[in-house]
Amino acid sequence: MDEVEKIERWLILACLLLTAVLGWAAWDASTQEWEGYQESYYRLALLRASSEAQKEWVRAQPVEIKQLEPKEHRSVERCITCHLAVDNPMFRDAPEPFRAHSSLLTSHPAQRFGCVVCHGGEGRAVTTLEGHGQGNIRAKPLLRGEYMQAACYSCHGEASLSPKAVAAVVRGRQLVNRYLCLGCHQIRGVGGEEGPDLSAVGSNRSWLWLYAHLARPQAIVVGSTMPVFLLPRAEIKDITIYLTTLLDSRDRFRSPTPAAEQRTKSYQGEEPNEEAEKGKENIPENTSAEKFRYDGALLFHGAGCSLCHSIGNRGGEVGPALTYIGRKRKSEELERLLRDPEEILPGGKMPQLYLNDEQIKTLAAYLSALQ
Amino acid sequence: MKPPREIVQTILQEIRGSLGRIYRSIFRGSYPATLRQQLIVVVNNLVLHVHPTRVFRRSIRPAGTFGLGLICFYLFVIEWITGVYLMFYYEPSVSAAYGRIQDLDSVVTFGRLVRNVHRWGAEAMVVFVVLHMCRVFYTGAYKPPREFNWVLGVILFLLTLALSFTGYLLPWDQLSFWAVTVGTNIAGYAPVLGPKFRFLLLGGDTVGGEALLRFYTLHVIAVPTVAALLINYHIWRVIKDGGLARPPRQESQSAEGVVPTFPLVVYMELLVFVGLTVGLLVVSLLFNAPLEEEATPLQPNNPAKAPWYFLGLQELVSYSAFWGGVMVPTVLTLFLLALPYIDRRPDGVGEWFARKRLGMIILWSLLLTGVVVTILIGVYFRGPNWNFYWPWNPWPGAD
Repeated sequence: MDEVEKIERWLILACLLLTAVLGWAAWDASTQEWEGYQESYYRLALLRASSEAQKEWVRAQPVEIKQLEPKEHRSVERCITCHLAVDNPMFRDAPEPFRAHSSLLTSHPAQRFGCVVCHGGEGRAVTTLEGHGQGNIRAKPLLRGEYMQAACYSCHGEASLSPKAVAAVVRGRQLVNRYLCLGCHQIRGVGGEEGPDLSAVGSNRSWLWLYAHLARPQAIVVGSTMPVFLLPRAEIKDITIYLTTLLDSRDRFRSPTPAAEQRTKSYQGEEPNEEAEKGKENIPENTSAEKFRYDGALLFHGAGCSLCHSIGNRGGEVGPALTYIGRKRKSEELERLLRDPEEILPGGKMPQLYLNDEQIKTLAAYLSALQ
Repeated sequence: MKPPREIVQTILQEIRGSLGRIYRSIFRGSYPATLRQQLIVVVNNLVLHVHPTRVFRRSIRPAGTFGLGLICFYLFVIEWITGVYLMFYYEPSVSAAYGRIQDLDSVVTFGRLVRNVHRWGAEAMVVFVVLHMCRVFYTGAYKPPREFNWVLGVILFLLTLALSFTGYLLPWDQLSFWAVTVGTNIAGYAPVLGPKFRFLLLGGDTVGGEALLRFYTLHVIAVPTVAALLINYHIWRVIKDGGLARPPRQESQSAEGVVPTFPLVVYMELLVFVGLTVGLLVVSLLFNAPLEEEATPLQPNNPAKAPWYFLGLQELVSYSAFWGGVMVPTVLTLFLLALPYIDRRPDGVGEWFARKRLGMIILWSLLLTGVVVTILIGVYFRGPNWNFYWPWNPWPGAD
């Protein structure tokens, strides 16, 4: 019966392989990025705790997925799985992802509004790449810097906010009128029928997509008949911010009831842009808490670079090809450019992408290695 | 006081004894060692009973069938099990479906893995069913008396496509939405009945909430039930039609040409199952099932492509809706169903690429090449606006 024994031996080997693969699967399912962040947070919280009672509380916290189910928005948002300190005053000066939220959180309670309505991103995801909309080109990127005005505006409108808080949106709207966009496009029933209806373009396209498309439509939509307008960067940005406010009913937060209007009025006097401005000057250094490693190639294709630039034969045609950029530019130069394009290329098309330090370093290192 | 070695021996004996008792309580009797006992195992076991008690040695050569039919059956079982797991989390409504898939991919324990296994298993099933069909054709195994089992097989092939296609819509992302829109449009090209069938399938004129509910019900209950029944019938018919096809008056009728099914064949089948499971798990751990952004009916993908197994038809539809949408699929299906009743000569049964069947083999190979080539063109050589492009050139545009 040595035939049977041979098969038996193969079968035992296959079962061992299966056990190994199942072990791999279990390991794969149990090593999650967010677990690392939660453990770091509780370690930091233990260091910062002032009383024994606080330390007890920290020790009792489980490592688990945390989520918000905002009352006025039918969605689930898991941002606080990593951003655990949003409501912890002891973390006011901590580096992201553990910085406490500004005072805006008191007028916009997270239990009611969630995070995504102001900050953008993909609320259901629990990885940085997916949650911040950097995993692929069709994802929803976070709104940062002036782009956050789009979020303020789409709930509060223009009247109830200070002019400074919606300046970019208003400029964008004026530009849309000045360049006669509505000659071809329709917004909420007004305008021509040559181009696509833009009434909900902010829901269907990310701001990165809109920006790149405004710079050169044909590089994004093959055979597009939209003219190349050769707009300066600041104008592209303002128009993009305005278009981002055009949401469909699924994403639009504001309910048109008088009560909601009343609520909107009561929020007057807030400075919604304060935190975004502060965050720009004070980009946190990499700390031990920051375990996550960015991948240069993933970032290049995910953070929006490849919409305009190409490496090899992949990518867009709006900006110069970067296949051999490492021969021309050193890593430090690229870092400076990524941090503030206006400083290096005044009047150019390259947008401010609001990347964090680690992302900038990773991207610069990746690009400077392209020889 | 006994020496420690004896104590260990006693413990081991105890363990062996209790394991033996558990074994006997389940299988009624000790391990079957004699031929007679091994034959009885097959007869008395509900699952093994689909086998004959003895099989011809030439039937179990790996190169005889490559285990393709067995793999198809196992894939169906794996799809069933993973499908039930996914059903615990899925909700077939336009507002909830996409979020549920995102949850499976992000927070459900093993959710992403199970979804990957279900997805790649489904694609593998289409491939393996076609390979199984080719094996049966090239070995002439559809000839009398196995004609009707071939017909059952063709129906099962169509059901496999139906299962895969109805499942395609459920994630409710851009990919699935536009693939199903294109796929059902192809069905709508048939004269008179086409548009009616499309309306019946979608519960409306466009893909929407009704279509999602219908595809879900078809995918999880209606089609799997029919397929499961037909698979049983298909396998049962293999014995009833005289086992696997083999050349007539073979010397294999003699005693050494036969082996008892238990344990050799049963072990071989288990080996295929474990191997397949390992392969599928590794692929699923390495590659994620695609998920694009949520379906938005006003923003079509460019190009909107049907699922890959229908891309050959879509390629033909791009030349002529009538030929691609009506003539070619109808004629191909009728040809497949009628094949064993047309080609009745008993030549080359149970023999790979028999010389005497050269004409039929060339015909089948040409058809197969045509299908594969049109599918490859549709998958790799069609860019935005269905324009031709080389796969090594950059994708034109960012969408």
